[in-house]
Amino acid sequence: MAGWIQGAWNMKVVTGVIGNDIHVVANRLMDLSLTARGYEVFNLGVNTYLEEFFDAAVETGAEILLISSLNGEAEGWAREVKMLKAKYKSLDDLIMMIGGNLTVGSGNAEAIVPRYKNYGFDLVCHQVDLNTGLDMLEDYLKAHPPRSQETSGA
Amino acid sequence: MSAQNDKLLIDIGSTYFKVSTPESIEQHFRDFNKQILDDLMHKCGDTVKRFDAQDIHICSSANGGLSTLIIGTTQSYSLKYATNIAFNAGINIIDSIVFQDIEDYSIPSDLIDVVIIVGGIDSNGGQFDQRLMNYLSKLQYSNVVYVGNAPDAALVKAAVDKLVVLPNIIDDRLHIVETHLKDYLTNLYQQDIEGKEDIKHLYEITSNQIYPTPYVVNKSLPLMHDFFSVTDPFILLDIGGATTDVHYSKDLVSDNIVTEQGHDRIVFKKLGVFKSRQSLIFTAENNEFAYELLMHLKVTENIYNEHSEKATRILMQLAIFLVLCKMSHYRPAYVTLKLLAMNSIVFTGGITKVLNTEDIEDVVAFFYRKILNSDHKPVTVLDTHYDIWTIGAKEHAKCQ
Repeated sequence: MAGWIQGAWNMKVVTGVIGNDIHVVANRLMDLSLTARGYEVFNLGVNTYLEEFFDAAVETGAEILLISSLNGEAEGWAREVKMLKAKYKSLDDLIMMIGGNLTVGSGNAEAIVPRYKNYGFDLVCHQVDLNTGLDMLEDYLKAHPPRSQETSGA
Repeated sequence: MSAQNDKLLIDIGSTYFKVSTPESIEQHFRDFNKQILDDLMHKCGDTVKRFDAQDIHICSSANGGLSTLIIGTTQSYSLKYATNIAFNAGINIIDSIVFQDIEDYSIPSDLIDVVIIVGGIDSNGGQFDQRLMNYLSKLQYSNVVYVGNAPDAALVKAAVDKLVVLPNIIDDRLHIVETHLKDYLTNLYQQDIEGKEDIKHLYEITSNQIYPTPYVVNKSLPLMHDFFSVTDPFILLDIGGATTDVHYSKDLVSDNIVTEQGHDRIVFKKLGVFKSRQSLIFTAENNEFAYELLMHLKVTENIYNEHSEKATRILMQLAIFLVLCKMSHYRPAYVTLKLLAMNSIVFTGGITKVLNTEDIEDVVAFFYRKILNSDHKPVTVLDTHYDIWTIGAKEHAKCQ
């Protein structure tokens, strides 16, 4: 973990809150936590549209896209992820993660996680605390290192 | 010898020219059989002769501005930022191309004044490849500028003749950096104006730089509240003979662009009531509500073939409607404004000499009812004495 925190992998993450959602405090906490773990963070803030997330990943060369949602609006947007991502020719290796409160009203992770994975996300954290979610991301990266990290010999 | 603070301000448009002294302002319809300078001296010679060359300040939009084609990597960042900078520098955009699909775009047949290449933050090279050079080799252009990521600059420069490389317009936090590209485009616009045979002669009467009119008008926007009863957010419409300029409060757009200025500009190059008359009519014929507007104004489509004062008035009313459509969700162009949040709508240019407040409010109300299903009524302000241009020109003259 120590090497990770020192930013040994120095990976780029695009993050932000999707749709018409203004939960800025959670967004700021996400930014701080990712930075503390050694990622280079591109925080698009609240009220961000799906196209802006993908466009930011292209402009920055980010390896990870981490979308957050608190008002449950993500579901409406997430349905378009596969279709929209397919239009980009350079995002095949982009690691897609989503977290927060991913449904309106009550819902259980057993039903929600597979649904979002089917929408095109590699990692889904429904009502999981921030640090646990970011630990999940690190475990995923260790198991599936992005191609850019393999070629750089990290 | 003129007093130190006395300036003569001249604006050369495609249809009219305006001359402003500290005492008065006059407007004249241009005689297209004469050189601009000859026409100006014939109509306002006595006035011009009263001023020293260093006290005469001229701006012009008569050549319609420069054209640009932008090649960028994404719509939300590189293309959007470059488009924003180009519009604010007074440049007209012919097309914007997403690089990954560059092979699918057709090659414009017109000569492009300047091609802008942009994409990626500085730590993200490898955005461009041979496909860019292939496209550029088929394109006719006069200037080409690279404002993308730093690592790719050398590759592109090695392959593209006369490429100007400027600092990236996207910083490492994905924010816009305007200065370098805006200065470059503004200078290019000035050089273009100077190079125009007609405009070149105007340097016989002034020792100051001739600037693009939109650039000068932009200077007046922060001062609007001192001279007009305008409530933010507002838009300023300048419907001219050849083009229509719209300056708008940035509060009217949901944007990811963070800049210091409170206003942006967009231009509709082929929307005007004289030189671009046919194009305006064509746009109207393709708008299903335009017919209803003509009925509302109690005329028929035959008005398009008339050349009368009444026809000009109707065309101007149509132009207002079409511009508002282009700025709304109904016919989205480069920007979609939150028109229901707009509190004031300011009109300047020749339109204020032809239409009165009632004529304009009638069309604006029609637009809100038909397109936005609303009774919203922004306050109409008419700049009948060209104060906006005068304020901008004075501000600009102060800086020179």
